[in-house]
Amino acid sequence: MSIAAQIDDLSFTHPGTDLPALERVSLTIPAGESVALLGPSGAGKTTLLALLDGRLRGWSGRVSVLGAPLDPDQPPPRVRRPDSGFVFQEFALVERSTVLRNVLNGRLGRMPPLRALLGSPTAHDLEIARAALADCGIGDLAGRRVDSLSGGQRQRVAIARCLAQEPRLILADEPVSSLDPARAGEILSLLTGAARARGATALFSSHQPDLARRFAQRIIGIRGGRIVFDVPTPELNEAATADLYRETEPMPGTGLRAVS
Amino acid sequence: MRFREFGGYATSALIAGAILWSFATANVELSRLMSAGPRIADFLGRMFPPDPTVMAEIKKGSAETLRIAILGTLGAVILSIPLGILASETMVARAVFRPVRTLLAFIRAIPLILVAMLMVGAVGLGPLPGIIAVAFHATGMLAKFYAEAIDGVSRAPIAALESAGAGPLVRLRHAIWPQMAPVVARDTIFRFELNLRESLILGIVGAGGIGFYIQTYVRSFQYDKAASVTVAVVVMVIAIEAINVAMRRRFT
Repeated sequence: MSIAAQIDDLSFTHPGTDLPALERVSLTIPAGESVALLGPSGAGKTTLLALLDGRLRGWSGRVSVLGAPLDPDQPPPRVRRPDSGFVFQEFALVERSTVLRNVLNGRLGRMPPLRALLGSPTAHDLEIARAALADCGIGDLAGRRVDSLSGGQRQRVAIARCLAQEPRLILADEPVSSLDPARAGEILSLLTGAARARGATALFSSHQPDLARRFAQRIIGIRGGRIVFDVPTPELNEAATADLYRETEPMPGTGLRAVS
Repeated sequence: MRFREFGGYATSALIAGAILWSFATANVELSRLMSAGPRIADFLGRMFPPDPTVMAEIKKGSAETLRIAILGTLGAVILSIPLGILASETMVARAVFRPVRTLLAFIRAIPLILVAMLMVGAVGLGPLPGIIAVAFHATGMLAKFYAEAIDGVSRAPIAALESAGAGPLVRLRHAIWPQMAPVVARDTIFRFELNLRESLILGIVGAGGIGFYIQTYVRSFQYDKAASVTVAVVVMVIAIEAINVAMRRRFT
């Protein structure tokens, strides 16, 4: 079995804060699976995903993504960045550009620098972008400006941009938190389905256990920056989930309550 | 609260002191203004009716002023693109944008007319020193505006393109530029309007344009001709503002 991401004894504290966002995390994400990162707000889900995307500096431990080690002190080499695609919680689209432009932005890391600067896609780039749009069910929106779209449509554009990148690992940060339950199911089905069709690994975060159960083969529970459980979906029991979301108790040794 | 009230008194005292000091030290004799009534009437009388025979000079001077403003703005845009990037915290490190911002503040602090006088000294009379002066002076403001436009865009798409493997200039082109383009258009039009207004007087120091004729006619006591040029200037300023209001509306 090959491995998409390997994490050993990872700790990270956001600059300017005292409490670690991630503490002694060790994980193995097998390649080709859809994995859910489940946990309450502030558990460290976004931090872990951003770290795997190579965007955080100053952590300790060992992390390798798609077979290459990450350096805690400098960003990964630019040629490797397109291999991991990121779907941002707030879409992170260029609002004033068209849908097609936004999806082609996912190709920029795959183009030679001058071509990327000029923004002149090859026929191959266009073909990939159009296929991604079609997969996301928004082929007919290609010419529309993003600021004229609904939230669900925007999330589809964001996923299409990620797919156009041809990533081998798809990291999605709460991809459905802003959508109603029906839309949320559609989007997660789209995301995990597209990953499976491409042989890519999908790691998505969520705070909704039912969605994680429906769309992930493996579920990792995270709370207070620590891994609470890491199990194949069928083995996840109610007690573990309930414990993940229990009321915050006084933090030992600090005399403080996180929720007062 | 008490501190605030004290601050209020201190500010009032400072303003009052500055006004009294200005009256006490400058040669401001209000009596001169009182006795000058007949002379002012005579002066105004000599301005009327404005002499319409200077139409040719007005056309020539206005066209030159317009050219100075257009080419001066073009020069400022060309200088402001790199300087705006170097003054933006999104694009460069603190060690770069701090000194560049200071440099731009220095440029802004030098009045246009002073730059124009120095340029006339450096390259001689005519519109060329005017164009250089406008380009230089306007860059102080325009580059700052461009930097603020870069720093004002939403950061999320920039991070997304970085994650996709796009370099800094590619991010500027595809994530920042589409967001800032309308702001850049508005700021540039605004600066063009200022450039045109400010370059109307450049001729007074020999840096080209319609100001040259105002100065010539006033110096030679041809107040009726000076009046015609003044009317032309007022008409131009109003026209520019009307056009710019219409243009700016397109970019909001």
